[in-house]
Parts: sequence; C-alpha cells; structure tokens
Amino acid sequence: MYDFIIIGGGVTGALIARTLSRYQVKVCLLEKESDIGNHATLANSAIIHAGFDPEPGTLKARLGVRGNAMYETLHKELHVPLLRTGAYVVARHEDDVAILNALYERALKNGVEGAKLLSGEQARKLEPALHRNSVKVLDLPSTKVTYPWEVALSALENAVSNGVEYRLEAEVVGIVRTDKVYAVTLANGHALKSKAIINAAGAFADKVAGMIETHVPYKITPRRGEYLVLDKSVRGFVERVLYPVPTEKGKGVLVVPQVHGNILLGPTSEFQDSPSAVTNHQADLSMIRQAASTLAEAIPFDKVIRTFAGVRATSSAKDFYIRQSLEHRGFYHVAGIDSPGLTAAPAIAEYVVETLIKQDYDLESNPDFNPYGMQYPHFHEASLAKKRQMIAENPAFGNIVCKCERVTEAEVLMHIHRPCGGHSVKAIKKRARAGSGLCQGGYCEGTVVKLLARELKQPLETIDYYRKDTPILMAETKVKR
Amino acid sequence: MKTDLLVIGGGAAGIAAALEASAQGLEVLLLERDTQLGGILNQCIHNGFGLHVFKEELTGPEYAERFIHMFHDKDIAYKLNTTVLDIRKEDAGFVVSASSLQEGWLELECRAIMLASGCYERTRGQIQLPGDRPKGVMPAGSAQRYLNMDGYLVGKDVFILGSGDIGLIMARRMKLEGANVHGVAEIMPHSNGLTRNIVQCLHDYDIPLFLSHTVTDIRGKDRLEGVTIQQVDENWKPISGTDKHFSVDTLLLSVGLVPDTMVFESLDIAMHPVTKGAVVDQHYQTSIPGIFACGNALHVHDLVDYVTEESRRAGRAAARYVKGLSVRQKRLALNSGANIHYTLPQYIDTADFNGVISCMFRVTKKAEQGEFVIRQGDRIIQRKKARFLAPAEMEQLDLDQTMLSDHETPLTLDFEVIRP
Amino acid sequence: MKKLICIVCPIGCHLEIDAQHNVTGNRCKRGIGYAIEEVTRPTRMVTTTVRLLSQEHPRLSVKTSKPLPKEAIFRLMAALESLTVNPPVYMHQVIMRDFEGLGVDIIATRTIPG
Ligand SMILES: Cc1cc2nc3c(=O)[nH]c(=O)nc-3n(C[C@H](O)[C@H](O)[C@H](O)COP(=O)(O)OP(=O)(O)OC[C@H]3O[C@@H](n4cnc5c(N)ncnc54)[C@H](O)[C@@H]3O)c2cc1C
Ligand SMILES: Cc1cc2nc3c(=O)[nH]c(=O)nc-3n(C[C@H](O)[C@H](O)[C@H](O)COP(=O)(O)OP(=O)(O)OC[C@H]3O[C@@H](n4cnc5c(N)ncnc54)[C@H](O)[C@@H]3O)c2cc1C
Ligand code: SF4
Repeated sequence: MYDFIIIGGGVTGALIARTLSRYQVKVCLLEKESDIGNHATLANSAIIHAGFDPEPGTLKARLGVRGNAMYETLHKELHVPLLRTGAYVVARHEDDVAILNALYERALKNGVEGAKLLSGEQARKLEPALHRNSVKVLDLPSTKVTYPWEVALSALENAVSNGVEYRLEAEVVGIVRTDKVYAVTLANGHALKSKAIINAAGAFADKVAGMIETHVPYKITPRRGEYLVLDKSVRGFVERVLYPVPTEKGKGVLVVPQVHGNILLGPTSEFQDSPSAVTNHQADLSMIRQAASTLAEAIPFDKVIRTFAGVRATSSAKDFYIRQSLEHRGFYHVAGIDSPGLTAAPAIAEYVVETLIKQDYDLESNPDFNPYGMQYPHFHEASLAKKRQMIAENPAFGNIVCKCERVTEAEVLMHIHRPCGGHSVKAIKKRARAGSGLCQGGYCEGTVVKLLARELKQPLETIDYYRKDTPILMAETKVKR
Repeated sequence: MKTDLLVIGGGAAGIAAALEASAQGLEVLLLERDTQLGGILNQCIHNGFGLHVFKEELTGPEYAERFIHMFHDKDIAYKLNTTVLDIRKEDAGFVVSASSLQEGWLELECRAIMLASGCYERTRGQIQLPGDRPKGVMPAGSAQRYLNMDGYLVGKDVFILGSGDIGLIMARRMKLEGANVHGVAEIMPHSNGLTRNIVQCLHDYDIPLFLSHTVTDIRGKDRLEGVTIQQVDENWKPISGTDKHFSVDTLLLSVGLVPDTMVFESLDIAMHPVTKGAVVDQHYQTSIPGIFACGNALHVHDLVDYVTEESRRAGRAAARYVKGLSVRQKRLALNSGANIHYTLPQYIDTADFNGVISCMFRVTKKAEQGEFVIRQGDRIIQRKKARFLAPAEMEQLDLDQTMLSDHETPLTLDFEVIRP
Repeated sequence: MKKLICIVCPIGCHLEIDAQHNVTGNRCKRGIGYAIEEVTRPTRMVTTTVRLLSQEHPRLSVKTSKPLPKEAIFRLMAALESLTVNPPVYMHQVIMRDFEGLGVDIIATRTIPG
C-alpha cells in the first residue's frame, strides 16, 4: 500500500515525486512509456520563461515567476543545466508596440525581474541577428534555458535515491476507490493500492481523470508544436531567446538557443485529436522557416539537423488546473500543464505538496532526505588535466563512442547503469548525447547497440531503438544450419 | 617527438597520402578511430573498385587490402582505435588532440596535417522529411554496415529514398539477403548513381525506380508502417493525386554524403558552400597553410580510384610544404561557371605551380554531349569535348602553367551543352 | 536493335546491339563481349558474405571467382546461408569450390588473421 501514486513521469510528476520524498511517505510514480519524460517534457522550447505573458493573478503567472527563481536551486542541487540567456520580445511593426507596452506593464505586475524596454536599434547592437524591422523590444533578463528532459530525469533519480519507487511501461487503465483506498490497474494486469493519487498525466490527464471522476472538470485539447533544430556549429547566432509579440494563438515561432549549442526554431500551434501524435507536416515546417525569418536575419537553414514535434496539454480551464477532486478525497488533479509548465514545474510541485496535500495529510519530514543529485561527468568539457586523470582512473574515458558530441564509452556505461539508467539506443542518446550531433548516430548507433547488448547481457537483436519491440537489428543473416 | 605529417583517417585517402608523403621522406603518423584500416571500403563488399589504379575490378575490401599491404611494407607509424578530436595551431606547426582506449589522451605535435576523415551520410533531419518519427528510417550506409560487417538485416520490407550509389547497392544487397525491396524514389528526373548500378542493382531484380518522386509521408508509431511517395513538378513540389503507398518496415536514405570536417571545428578554415569541405588550391592546402585535405573529407567521390590519385597528389604536396619547397604567395580563383556544380581546386597557387594541375569537377545536369571550357577573362585557355555526362560522375581537365595569360585574372570553367 | 548499358566497368557505355550481334557505343572492346553475352546468356559477379567464427569479424566478405549465370544467383545465396568459416582466412582463399558444377568458386575478398 502506497501513500501516494503519481501517474505520469514528465517533469511535473518527477518534481512532485522529489518534493514528496522530503517526507516520510511511500510513493510510487507510474509512467506508461519505456522511459520517463517522453511526451511534452521531451519536446518543447526548453525556456524558463520570465513570466511576462500570463494574466496576473493566475496560477500560471504566480507559479511561473516562482518556478523561474526555483531553477537556480535545482541547478545547484540537481546539476540541471541552465543557460542564463535572457530574452527579447520583439515588436516588428508599429501596431505591435502598444501590445509590447502592455506586456511590459504585465511583466511588472507579475513581478518579473529586470524587465525593460529597448529601441530596436539598441537591441540590435547586443543581438546583431535580430531582424532589421524590429522597432521596439522588451528585454527580459531573467529568462533562462534548460534541458527539460534532464530536469525530469535528475528529479526522479533524486527522488528514487530518497526512497521513491517508479515503474516504466506501467500504463494506468483503471482506478477505483473503495474504503478510502485507491486501486490502480495497469495495462499489464498488475494492481497497486494507494491512499492518494496525483494525476500528472499531461495531455492524457482528462483520460486518467475520467477513469474515476463522473464529472471531469476540464477537457484537454492537444495542441501540436513543430520545430526545426540547427546544428550546434551555429552556437552564438543568437545569444538570447527571441519571441515575437504574442497573438491570441500563443507565443508564436521563437528562436531559442539551447544548452548544448543548438538553436531551436518553432513551435507552430495546431490543435489535433491525438494527445500523442508527434507528426511533422511539410506546411508547418515551411511556416516555421517563414516566421522565424521575420525575427532574425539570415538564419542558416542549411544547418538544420533534425525536426520534431511536441504536444501541449491545452485545457478548457485556461489556467493550470491544480486542485483536489471535488468527488474523491485524495485524488489530486495536476492538469492543463501547458506552457509555462516547464518553468512552473518546481513551483507546481511545491504548491501541490506544501499547500494542497499538507491541508489534508500530516507529512513528517524525511530526516535522510538528500537534496543533491548525482553528477555525471562530461569528459569533453573537462580540462586537459582532468581528462588525463579521468582516463587514468577509468580507461574507458579514452574510448570515444560518439565523435560528433565527443561522448566516451565510460559515459555511455554510466548512463546505462545509473539508477534511472537508459536501456535503449534513444534512452542513451538522451542521457549521454551519443547520436545527437551532426550525423545523428550514423556512426555511433552501432557501437551503442553493442555496448547495450554487452552490458545488459542481451542478444543484439533485442536491443531496442526506443519503445518496446523496436529492435534496430531485425534479423540475423546466415543462420540456417 | 614531432611528426612531419599527421594523417587523420586510415581509409583509402589517408593510406594513399601517407604512402606518398613517406615515399618523399617524411616522418608520417596516421591515426584511425576504427579497429582496422580501410575505412568505408571494408563495408563496400561489392565490386567496382580499382579499375583506374589497378586496371582490374576489385571489391572494396580487396582494394583496401592491397593498400594496407603497401602501407605495412613501408613501416609507416599508425594508431588504431584513436579518435582525433581537435587541432591547435602553434608557432611551428600544430598540436593534435586524440584519444584512445589503449593510450588515453594524446597531444601530438606535427608540422603538417592531412585531413582524410571521409564523410558522413545526410540524415532524415537534414532533408526535413515530414511525417511520424518511428524506428526504421535510417541512412543506407548504416544499414550496409549492419548487414555486411555485423550480419544483420535492419528490415524485411524496404523502400529506398535516393538513387545514389549506396542506395542502389543496398537495394540489391537487401534483396539478395531475403528482404523485399519495394522500390527506389529519386526526386531528380535522373538517377544520381552510376548507370551500371541502375542496371545491376535495380533492373536485374525488377526493383522499380520512381524518378521525379519523393517521400511525402512516413507513418508508424513505434515501428515504421508505411511511406507515401508523390511525383514532383519541376520546382520539386509534390503533385497532388500522384500518391503511391508502400507498406514497409524500413526506409533507407541515400540522400547524399557530406565531408566530415568536424576536427576543423575550432579552426577558422574557409569552407566551400557546395562541396561542404575546405576550400583548397592545387596542393590540396586549405586556407591555413600546413593543413591539407583529401578524399571524401574534401569532397565526395564516387570512385575510390580518384580518391587514391587525389590523395597521392595531396601527400606529395604536403611533403613539399614540410620541406619548405612550397611557400604560398598568390592564389588565383578558379570559378565554377555555367552548368558546373563545383571545381576542385577552387584556387591556383600561381607562385608554386608545380606541374600539371588535374582539375576535378562535376556538371550540374545530364547531357549526351558537351564541351568543357576554361576561360581567363575572355580568352579560352583550355577546352575538351565529352560525352554522356552526369552530375554523379566526376570529370577531369588538365591545366598547366603555360596556358595562363597572367597571374591576376581569375579563371572560370563552363560546361557548354552541345545539342545533337 | 537492342539498347544496353555496359556494366563491365563503372563508365557504363550506352551500347546498341543488332540481330547480327554488331555492337556500337562501346569505348573499349570488352563492351562487345558484354553485349553479346547479355543477349545470349547473362551472367553477374556476386558479392556477399558468409558467417565467420570470430568475435570481431562475424562476417567474411566473399565473391564469385567469375561471373555466375544470373538464374543461379539465389541458389548460390541459399547455399551460402549454412556455410561457416573459421579464421584465419586469406584473401582469395577458396571458400566453396565449383558451385553446381558451373566452374565458379566462392573466394574470400579479405584476410582475417586467426
Ligand atoms: C511545443 C511545446 C513548447 C513548450 N515550450 C515551453 C517552454 O518553452 N517553457 C515552458 O515553461 N513550458 C513549455 N511547454 C510546456 C511544458 O513542456 C509542459 O508544460 C511540461 O513539459 C509538462 O510536463 P508534464 O509532466 O505535465 O507532462 P508530460 O511531460 O506530457 O508528462 C505526462 C506523462 O504522463 C504519462 N502518462 C499519461 N497517461 C498515463 C497513464 N495512463 N499511465 C501512466 N502514465 C501516463 C505520459 O506518458 C507522460 O510521460 C511547452 C510545451 C510544448 C508541447
Ligand atoms: C557505400 C559506398 C559505395 C561506394 N562504391 C564505390 C564503387 O563501387 N567503386 C568505387 O570506386 N568507389 C566507390 N565508393 C567511393 C569510395 O569507396 C570512397 O569514396 C573512398 O573509399 C573514400 O575514402 P576516404 O579515405 O576518403 O574515406 P573513408 O574510407 O571514409 O575513410 C575515412 C577514415 O577516417 C576515419 N576517421 C574519421 N574521423 C576520424 C577522426 N576524427 N579520427 C580518426 N579517424 C577518423 C574513419 O574511421 C575512416 O576510416 C563508394 C563509397 C561508398 C560510401
Ligand atoms: S565498353 Fe568498355 S569502357 Fe565502356 S563501360 Fe564497357 S567496359 Fe567500360
């Protein structure tokens, strides 16, 4: 019997798990995919927004601004990467200026630090790639960029080291409540019991809620966003996040420097029926090229190495919907977590645990709680002396597996065997970055498959690309005896 | 100890350059990241190699082995399993950082560098194919390595995008090993592969080739389930109503190779927008004196014989540089004119002409007949008629010093199509 | 008149052959032999792999010692499926002799030390 079951292993669920691990409670996080953070947390703009656009007084505004500040602590404790880029919101014609001025007022009301207005000219001096039509710019220095997927991973891993359990490939298909106890059924037939449930299922939150609520107080309409990724050789093309002045459709197509040196262009914004389809459309990709070209000059489109798409959990509630069920005590909705959900996630976790849960449960502090996450070295970033020392201690640091991203065998092994280790090619790509460079795994994929097979003591043809039953090597030849 | 020439990569190019530089008396060290020498040739088990160099037709491994023998006979220093990561310029040369399992981190000093690191394959992301992103879409060369080196098929029902040689060769290979190859689509109105490969790899096995077609949709959640191809108009825009669907578990991409110049990252070397390799003069010297490049790391070749010949010339040129015989003073541009995709070299070092220059180039379109013309200003200084020209095939034209009218006026190479 | 593309070498000459086996379009005389054979009894070189008992090199590349009649290609592939070779192997070592009595051997195309 658990005290809390968290449904959903995105950044929201993972940070709630970590916050709960500060207390003496038995927690289990359930994630339906073969790895954590595979949905919105994997595919987004990676921005820790300053908090300039949510309407003052909303949870989005409050938790957004608080979350932004909390990332500094996460950076220290969990070593999540943080790029303090700052951002420009750009008015590209006179009509935009009034909106920009209003946004500035809103930023002040929301308590955004350091917000100020600049002329187009002033801004272009600091950000030369900015489009020459830019007339006025809202400077938001507190904007940052992180690697969202790693935030979820390190939060969950820290939670696990503080006693939280988690299960992958654990899709919740049924919830019933009898005698104040929830019974959760998984797709594989297993059943788990818990005193309370936290629904952090992202774009699937209304489906999960519908398993128990007779009336689900919100409806989620999935909204797809597509992106182009520029190779890291473009590092420095822009230093700051560039936003156009937002419209009623959302924040628009942005230019976003990433922690590993790449630049993201996107996202688009299209409603769709499926909460999981991450299809790229030719029309969307062309639209990104066109829209981004009105924000920055001479974007090196020949450096595109990848496209992807993510799905926002846009809800009918407009704001985040974070509250206890009106029908079922101990069932907490953490729903409608679309943008700025990543930014707000640490504050959402704090709010859920410290404000909502504490109203109903007596939580006793966990005296053994260790806020510090493991630190996994990046060989390539180490100094020469340090590199030599690392190799002396472990010669596998000398073996370069991925040449594009300069990832060593020692790092791959570490990311296979860490507490929340990766057991598929893409799971390693996300943890160790092997295969995320220019050749997109063309060279190292085979090596990673072999290392996984060796370390997991599995035959080559069982090593999956990502999801269950997606082997890269489908059939061995010359096996007829 | 300071090496005269450090060669990065032990494929056809690196071996040929090392052999030649060593024959000229240089102290050479070759670094190769793989467990064996030979590079891409090891996985190219088909034949079609060596006709120019050995006057006989060899498979990739045979061609490689002949050169590896010569290489070992000369006792040239080399290290396997050693990846070069960075190059630093120092006063009297360069320091190359490399790393290996056996020897750990290495900082190697040298007077000159030969980049012979081959190429990598363009990926799905680089050509921005729309659709779902399931497992089962991969570059054809990766599939070739899995099949020929590791002994695994990556799929059983295959479609191939791009009619470059790797795609064609893989169509036949997968078919021979029991996969069902549904077809090959090519966005251009003509194939990019060698004609003989169209015949031997597609016609022989009744594999359809869809010219002026491209993949416009990819479907499948976890695994690839199917692809849609569509005909394209002259602007490469898909024509609606021309959709064809194929239920396949694998889409192989043979959509181009790109020179691998990653180790140049921290240097400021001038790169060519078309070849994606370094800009060089006839000595294969890049914009940084002492750094040379050859083989697929410089521009993508379809024949290994040309790689070998080019790399020998590059090796000799590097030797002249190390011996102080070649001091670059003046570079004259050789521009790509009408119907020319690119030329190599792009510059001519007029201060040190050193014999006949073999200009390599590619045309931009297919033609039955035509003439290559090099002009300096208005004056024609070299011309040659040619037949059966295609962008996939590299052409060559010799140029010697006496042809130049002066050392100031840039040269332009044009390809003039002759209508029958 | 039949149009063919010569595949003897990578140049790929565009050949024409008439009923009397007169060949045109060839850049060298090997093109003539190819055209005549192609309309009478087509053959192809086959390059493939066989299983090798080696950790580092699980497959050995091989080829036919000379072109094989086209219709025999898949039978050869089937025959090679159950073949296993032990290192060391030397380049041009015969792996399978005289396939189906056609006078074609299967030979290794590289050396793999023991
Ligand atoms: C295109 C786009 C751009 C964005 N840009 C930004 C940005 O720049 N800054 C920002 O702050 N925010 C941004 N966001 C929002 C942010 O990414 C999300 O708010 C955040 O990632 C949500 O995390 P989550 O954990 O709530 O949801 P998710 O990451 O989607 O996680 C939900 C998890 O629940 C699991 N699950 C669902 N159903 C079940 C079930 N039945 N059983 C078990 N598990 C289940 C899913 O598999 C999934 O892993 C963006 C979002 C998108 C899509
Ligand atoms: C699939 C395919 C089919 C072909 N078919 C034919 C054909 O039928 N006939 C023909 O004549 N030609 C053919 N070619 C062309 C020809 O074989 C190649 O162009 C030639 O072999 C390339 O030689 P290279 O040395 O430039 O590159 P490679 O052989 O790729 O060698 C580069 C070497 O550098 C190493 N390297 C790279 N980076 C580093 C680093 N940082 N540190 C250390 N080492 C490094 C690599 O591991 C590799 O071994 C084909 C090519 C391909 C790809
Ligand atoms: S005719 Fe001669 S030159 Fe022409 S393709 Fe045949 S073998 Fe080559």
